[in-house]
Amino acid sequence: MHERSATTALLILLAVALGAGGLFVPGLLTAGSAEDLMAGFSFVAILAIGQAFPILLRGVDLSIGAIVALAGMVTFDLVLIWQVPGWLVIPAALMVATAAGALNGVLIVKLRLAPFVATLATLGAYRGLVFAISGRQLVPSLSTTPIRDPWIIGIETWFDVGGALGLSDTLRLPAIPLQFIVMIVLLVLLQALLRTTPFGRDVYAVGGNQEAARLAGIATGRITIAAYAISGFCAGVAALVLVARLTTSTEALGTGMELTAIAAAVMGGVSLAGGVGGLVGPAIAAFLLGVVLIGLTVMGVPQFVQQVLTGVILLIAISYDRLLLMRRRARQDAAGAAETP
Amino acid sequence: MSDHTDRHDQRNAPPSAPNRRNLLKGLAFGSAAIGSAGAGLFAGVDPHTGALGLQQAHAATPARSSMAFIQWQPHTVPAAWSKGIEEVLKTQQVIDYKLLDGQNKVEVQVSLMDTLINQRTSVIFLQPIDSVALAPSIAKAKRAGIAVITLNIDATEPHAAHVEMNHYFGAMDIARAMGERMGGKGEVVILNAPPGIIIRDQRTNGFVEGLKKHHPGIKIVADQVADWSRKKAQDVLTTLLAANPNVGGVYGVNDSMALGAVDVAKAKGLLGKMVIFGNDGEKDALESIEKGELTGTQYTDVYQQGRFAASAAAVLATGLVPATAFKQQGKLLMPYVIATKDNVAQIQPSQRW
Repeated sequence: MHERSATTALLILLAVALGAGGLFVPGLLTAGSAEDLMAGFSFVAILAIGQAFPILLRGVDLSIGAIVALAGMVTFDLVLIWQVPGWLVIPAALMVATAAGALNGVLIVKLRLAPFVATLATLGAYRGLVFAISGRQLVPSLSTTPIRDPWIIGIETWFDVGGALGLSDTLRLPAIPLQFIVMIVLLVLLQALLRTTPFGRDVYAVGGNQEAARLAGIATGRITIAAYAISGFCAGVAALVLVARLTTSTEALGTGMELTAIAAAVMGGVSLAGGVGGLVGPAIAAFLLGVVLIGLTVMGVPQFVQQVLTGVILLIAISYDRLLLMRRRARQDAAGAAETP
Repeated sequence: MSDHTDRHDQRNAPPSAPNRRNLLKGLAFGSAAIGSAGAGLFAGVDPHTGALGLQQAHAATPARSSMAFIQWQPHTVPAAWSKGIEEVLKTQQVIDYKLLDGQNKVEVQVSLMDTLINQRTSVIFLQPIDSVALAPSIAKAKRAGIAVITLNIDATEPHAAHVEMNHYFGAMDIARAMGERMGGKGEVVILNAPPGIIIRDQRTNGFVEGLKKHHPGIKIVADQVADWSRKKAQDVLTTLLAANPNVGGVYGVNDSMALGAVDVAKAKGLLGKMVIFGNDGEKDALESIEKGELTGTQYTDVYQQGRFAASAAAVLATGLVPATAFKQQGKLLMPYVIATKDNVAQIQPSQRW
């Protein structure tokens, strides 16, 4: 119930942002603009969906931007240096990203590091690794060679829905990019995983109260490692989407994306206190941020002002999250007080 | 892939219907829109003849067109280009222009390209962060009939025009001037840009070829990446000098890195003994040459470069040449001088950026 109302609120916000943007930014309320949003922010939504898992466990994953670069560079190297066929490269890149995510989880569980510290360390380490394995540095001539593998580039495919329905004469519907469909499929699968499986129930239990979950016999360590592995996997998917769009990968790919993803997850109703929230909210919030950022950039608002505004939006979302948490606590206390006498 | 192309073909293919629709739309909304902008329907018309306004109505183009420049990130060079571009476009009266920030991120530049294409921008100026990564966006713009003009950094996808500092030949001239000062022998090091953009290859290859041609006695003992940065160049060169104490010349692929080399030479008391050349010709570099610290640089008037790009853009926009009509990419190399202490005073204050 709570999640549904949060989703409705987000959809209303999205509509308001689009309406306000439409007044100032010419062409924002067109099919072409919808296409741009779907193509330009599906990967942010994918990252936000992945980021929701660590946050549900009262953690955070700062390394996803670096994992995006890592998976991107693995793709670059395999395709351009070793000329591995794309159907092998895609699982390889996803495996590297998942392993990088799982390593975050292992550091947090085995070394008992705070998630913030562990993933900050791996952020630096993974980014360094990207430079070390960069095919652009090892074979400079490849840096101006585009990736042409049909499997990789195929991710950047578009489906003309309007044309298929025979509506293209009367109405221009946005064409749907494959990456948007990938995002939806990922959203449905992971949401089902969270809501219908024992694993999902355990994630909420561990996030709500780790000690209680441990005492209840839940393998909290394994749940944590799996959650960070899912976050890494999503970063891998985002990397493939980006590489398909750019036909190359760069060492700086994904820089700063963790902040956008965390902002989207928190705005989407995933509580930083853990154990509360779903995946639909973060996905919608990613597109909401997209509308705001595209609008501001096109209006010529300087980058530093945009960073301030993104920070303010994040602060408002976090404050609202705190408010909800305090209300929940008050309600629980009231309920507890009612029971005790 | 085919779906994608089809979609764009559909958007552009039937020439008559959209044109008619545009004409009607232009007639219906043109006066209101422009009136509200306080310019009036015939804003672009010569007040004496009125010819331009009538021609435009016949040609069914929108009364105003817009252009935008997507820069790498705020920096002296794109700021100076933008100033030059604005000087020319401002006088056209019917062209709106804006400068957009690529935030040093390829995905931001790609997203901005999408937005500008969607807004039917007539010409996009672009300083690509990566020559490959922006190529699909340039192809998309072309399919939508939008001309793209790249500045300094070319892209692997052919487009309407490319206006660049004379990277290759300028670098050859630097090699010659540097060799003359070194007496035709000795060791040099290159402080280079990270790989991934053509400008790096042009400025490096031009220098290497120039040395081979004019001064085969000079040896390049190191070629290291210093990320375009003055600070990074200081660190890199300090390390390089420890391994190669006999280095007599430093070639910076941009001025910032050359000035970093100047800082190191100053600290080590090598000023005057080491020949240091840069590229670009920014204000700081010219001042350093006047002080006798930096030996020289390739100077380009980047205001002028912006004006040239804008002139080409204005011709494209008003000549109704669609981007799809270009079979081969146009290219314009900027005139340059190798600025040294002897001739740096010729560069006027208004040409310094």
